[in-house]
Amino acid sequence: MAASPRLWTTLTEPLIRQNPITLQILGICSALAVTTALDTALTMAASLTVVLVLSAGIISMIRKMIPGTIRLIVQITIVASLVIVIDQILQAYFFDISRRLSVFVSLITTNCLVLGRTESFARNNPPLASMVDALGNGLGYSLILVVIGALREVLGRGKLFGFEVLPTVDQGGWFTPFNLMLLAPSAFFMLGGLVWAVRSALPEQAEPIEHTPPEVEEPSR
Amino acid sequence: MIKGLWDRETVALMWLVAVFPLAIVWIHHGGLDAVGRLIFFLAVAGFWHVIFMLVRAQPPSWAGVVTALALAILAQQELGLVPLLIGTSFGVVIAELVFGGWGRNVLNPATVTLAFLGFGFPSAPWPDIIVPVGWAAIPVALIGILAGVMSLRIVAGAVLVLGIAWMMGLDMSETYPALLVGLVLLVCDPVASASTALGRWLNGILFGGLAAMFLAYWSEAAAVQIVVSAALLASLVAPILDEIAIALWLARRRRRLG
Repeated sequence: MAASPRLWTTLTEPLIRQNPITLQILGICSALAVTTALDTALTMAASLTVVLVLSAGIISMIRKMIPGTIRLIVQITIVASLVIVIDQILQAYFFDISRRLSVFVSLITTNCLVLGRTESFARNNPPLASMVDALGNGLGYSLILVVIGALREVLGRGKLFGFEVLPTVDQGGWFTPFNLMLLAPSAFFMLGGLVWAVRSALPEQAEPIEHTPPEVEEPSR
Repeated sequence: MIKGLWDRETVALMWLVAVFPLAIVWIHHGGLDAVGRLIFFLAVAGFWHVIFMLVRAQPPSWAGVVTALALAILAQQELGLVPLLIGTSFGVVIAELVFGGWGRNVLNPATVTLAFLGFGFPSAPWPDIIVPVGWAAIPVALIGILAGVMSLRIVAGAVLVLGIAWMMGLDMSETYPALLVGLVLLVCDPVASASTALGRWLNGILFGGLAAMFLAYWSEAAAVQIVVSAALLASLVAPILDEIAIALWLARRRRRLG
């Protein structure tokens, strides 16, 4: 099949090289909010990926029938319907996690990542390519969420998926839980550090310098 | 400040000389424990300075020694090595070295480390600053002001506001050592504080006002915690104070010269 190498790049590009969070800084509101524990991060990542793939597929299928002037309304309607379905499923089968995720599942509707992919890719490409692209972006988002969620849970509570990894001081161990990791600022720090690490490894992602410092003569001694 | 003798490292060294009285009194009263703490913070800060020298060719600075001293005196006790290591690395790297080293930073690395540890480990007890260490801050301020690395205006502004608060009946009998030490080690950082005449007055007044307000209304906080919070907020606002001072100066100049 001639198209498969292209599909493969569409799938793998958004994992690191075109990662929606670390390169495009999209969808970070939810990335910051739900990553205090790994299970919520995983649930959120899975929900978003499912919504993203399905909405990309549906919008791509009817892309030639959507009038350009009301396309945002149509796209948001489709995304919102899918989000409601996902939300109901989570409430039915994973009530505890869904309560901890609170409004953030519903807020997938307004996630920049979903609308960004449908608006920029699914609107102009056939269904298969759109869904592969959406899957790639969803996985890229999931990757970052899982990394940050795992780090925050281990450092903040000494646990992973609720199981103890580092024995905490209260339980007679040696690890002092790092409360800051459960607050929003730490997610900013981690995301910043992650972006820094990725851009050091892939320097082509770094933005051009906005201004150059003036050259000064060092005094000779 | 790049002409003649005065380069970045002269400022850092003069600052270091100025804080010597404080360091000596503190080590004299703290004994071997104090020396151990100081060596630990010196090692961590020094490690990151060397890493950034090797990777980014940023010359290490003597200011790191002052940071380490401030941390050794003010950091929370009973924390264990790992939290202190994380906190110090965060403060030194994120608040100072990523900006290009001392002189280009916005906030004092010690202030950032202390605030980070304070938020991260709210239950760890803050150290008590004993009275002789508090008094030792006065020669520090004198030497710093005479050497030109600390600002008389910042010190005067802070002392003025705290003095007024004291006369209005605010009880500072147990907290004044921490206030004095924080003032000379965190607030008077020549880089992170305001640098215009009016801005410096405002900076000192703001620190004094915040500290007085926290003392009056934040009942469960330790003295050092109050000082660190006030210093963090004051140095975050310092660039705006400079902007205000410059805008006022420009407006006055425009009115006079047309």
